Amino acid sequence: MSLHLSELRKHYGATRAVDGVSLELGERETLALLGPSGCGKSTLLRLAAGLEPPDAGRIVLDGEDITSLPPQRRRFGMVFQDYALFPHLNVERNVAFGLVELRWSRADQRARVAELLDLVGLSGLQDRRVHQLSGGQQQRVALARALAPRPEVLLLDEPLSNLDQSLREALKEELRNLLARLPVRAIYVTHDQSEAFAIAGRVAIMRDGRITQVGTREEVLERPRSAWSARFLGHRNLYDGPALAAVPGAPAAAEPVLLRADMVTLLAPAAPDTAIDAGAGAAEAGATIRRARRDGLRWQLELDVPAWSLELAWEGFARELREAPREGAALRVRVPTAAWVRLAER
Amino acid sequence: MRPSWISTAFGVTASAFLALFFLLPLIAILARSAGDGSALASVASNPYYWQRLGFTTGQALLSTALTVALGLPGALLFARFDFTGKRLLTAAFTIPFVMPTVVAGIGFLALFGPRGLTGIDLRGTLLLVLLAHVFYNYAIVVRVVGGFLEGAAPRLLEAASTLGAGAWRGTLRVSLPLARPALLAAATLVFLFCFTSFGVILILAPSPRLATLEVEIYQLTAHLLELGPAAVLVVAQLVVVGAITLLYTRMQARVAVALPARAQTLPRPRGAGRWLLIVNLVAAGVLILAPLVALAVQALQGANGTFPSLDNLLGAARASGVLGFATLGTALRNSLAFATASTVLALGIGFAFAYAVARGRWHALDQLSLLPLATSPVTLGFGYLLAFPLLVTHPWGIPIAHALIAFPFVARSLLPALRGLDPALAAAAATLGAGPGRILHRVELPQLGPALLTAASFAFAVSMGEFGATLLLVRPEYATLPVAIYNRLGRPGPQHYGAALALALVLMLVTGAVMMLLQRRGRSEF
Repeated sequence: MSLHLSELRKHYGATRAVDGVSLELGERETLALLGPSGCGKSTLLRLAAGLEPPDAGRIVLDGEDITSLPPQRRRFGMVFQDYALFPHLNVERNVAFGLVELRWSRADQRARVAELLDLVGLSGLQDRRVHQLSGGQQQRVALARALAPRPEVLLLDEPLSNLDQSLREALKEELRNLLARLPVRAIYVTHDQSEAFAIAGRVAIMRDGRITQVGTREEVLERPRSAWSARFLGHRNLYDGPALAAVPGAPAAAEPVLLRADMVTLLAPAAPDTAIDAGAGAAEAGATIRRARRDGLRWQLELDVPAWSLELAWEGFARELREAPREGAALRVRVPTAAWVRLAER
Repeated sequence: MRPSWISTAFGVTASAFLALFFLLPLIAILARSAGDGSALASVASNPYYWQRLGFTTGQALLSTALTVALGLPGALLFARFDFTGKRLLTAAFTIPFVMPTVVAGIGFLALFGPRGLTGIDLRGTLLLVLLAHVFYNYAIVVRVVGGFLEGAAPRLLEAASTLGAGAWRGTLRVSLPLARPALLAAATLVFLFCFTSFGVILILAPSPRLATLEVEIYQLTAHLLELGPAAVLVVAQLVVVGAITLLYTRMQARVAVALPARAQTLPRPRGAGRWLLIVNLVAAGVLILAPLVALAVQALQGANGTFPSLDNLLGAARASGVLGFATLGTALRNSLAFATASTVLALGIGFAFAYAVARGRWHALDQLSLLPLATSPVTLGFGYLLAFPLLVTHPWGIPIAHALIAFPFVARSLLPALRGLDPALAAAAATLGAGPGRILHRVELPQLGPALLTAASFAFAVSMGEFGATLLLVRPEYATLPVAIYNRLGRPGPQHYGAALALALVLMLVTGAVMMLLQRRGRSEF
């Protein structure tokens, strides 16, 4: 039982918004579609919803080809970025909109609306006009409305992007719990990796109309496929393979190589200048602080490692340093061999 | 930022102008009707006037119903789909809105008049009046309702479709309920225009049976010189129209705030929607283009049926001294001169007003800008006759009246543009050393170019086509094109009809040229 998108394509003139995308969504699974703005992720979602016809490709739901089924017959719930709540209806009638199309009785509608408003924490607001609601409340109504007719698939298009930071954090948590609890499969489109990794079990990275990588949170974060994905996910230490010839433990590769800063530890300076701890599978070397910058509670350091002719960026809390970092100060880096990741492409 | 002295000066100037040339005439009319007790009694006891009120209301309701019935499907389809030529069509639909009543009137005569192309003579029938009213107002419904829905409805229809509501159900459950305030506003506006219908009636149905109050007021004033009863009728009409205008401004305010607009690409029509669209557009296109085409064809037809021929144009250009007709050249010159003067005047007052409202402490005046809309042209002309008897011997009454009639359009074009200016820009200019006058000159005016152009072409087109007020205030030597056309129509004989056609063609072309400037240059708050 699953949703298959296979080889979907959508062009607008010369722009390839979706350029041959295949994805699979399993039962009760939440998949995040993560990519920068303009990468085609929203278009892909609209293809899935049936709001746009694909130029090529197939959409198969539980064995049935639904590629040409109009949206109203797909039973895919969708949460729109700007919520698209009906301004002429109150909260209850908004949530009940899909139930009316299913010819539910008025009493059943009322019960289902109450149940959903309870679920999203808006009990008792049935009679409010939607423009009387705060942004966060509107977002919840949009979610309740999409869930009410028990959709086959729930599609969420950047649902938190119109909210301010603190509200976004709170709703992210709520949404994660809700999606984990409900027996619904969901595709969650976002450009914010923290949302993607908080909410979804699996993440697909999208770039220029193509999926560059799909995997679990850990796979995607720790083993990005390309230098572009690595940079997009916030990795900063990327090197050309050949440039690492002098670094002990680094892979000999023609492709780009990533050094995971989260695995690098900082030590007190010591002799000799460079050493290999073969037993622990790590190498050490002397380094100097070229730049130190505070980013909130964390420190961001740029380090020079002359023995390896390497520059690397590190970030962490002050407690991981022995003293407040000064530019020009000496220390020692310890790089486990496992911190090196060979990337498949640029 | 604090309101500058300029906005105060503008507010005072605009208010003074409106008080002098709008309120004072109205007060003169009120005084006249209240001061003449016998007139009130004779009007109230005369069943003929009650019939006129009944007919005026009835035909306006009927026209409104017909216009909505034809325009609503168009509006729904326009808001829903994108198609080749949509922008061109949107532009075409505004043609009737700015075409002078006289041109439309002659156009319908060219189709369905005694000498019409179709051979069917509908002159003097209610049907022809209704047709002309639909021609005029179809665009209002399509643009007001369609424009209102276009901003938000496509997105909401998508949401509805993911919830199981397809095209028909979405129209029923989303578009129609959403459109209700806009539809009411549009219908009110249409009713307002039809209630004070003047030129269309005078030209297409010159019989007492089909006279509206507006026509009746004109006849009483200009032909029977019964100013007392005329004043009473004006007040009665003002009460009705004022109430409806109030209703309109209320609804218009709701339309202005209700929906979050959002640019979105619309789908192209498929299936049934496509055929509905085609049928609707063809019907509307025929309704709008047929009279104008018929007018052009007949105007260029020679006496013995040759085509094209310049006979009519040459006939119109010749003075007919005996009858005192203005020649084509004189009428065109007068029209252009009045239009230029009234455009300058309307722009000045309209800009001063809009600036004071948007930038100063004159917000309370905002809705006042629609008031002249509630005052029919004949009312205004009549008020001038009463308040400024001296003005009648002087040509300035006409451009002032035209400027006032154009004022709501001008103010409503400039207001949104002024409100759309980022106030931070004026603040930035002030911190860079610019005073209020310099800010206006160097920062604000340069950004208002398109809106000013729209407003100017509106004002120009209004003045070129204005008929009711001009007819009351005009002296033979100042006859404008519409007046010259009407004078010739009033005489029997094919040569006079031909000359009227030729004059109307010229008026149509000049107005059309002005409209070209208007297209796609800005938006106004209607």
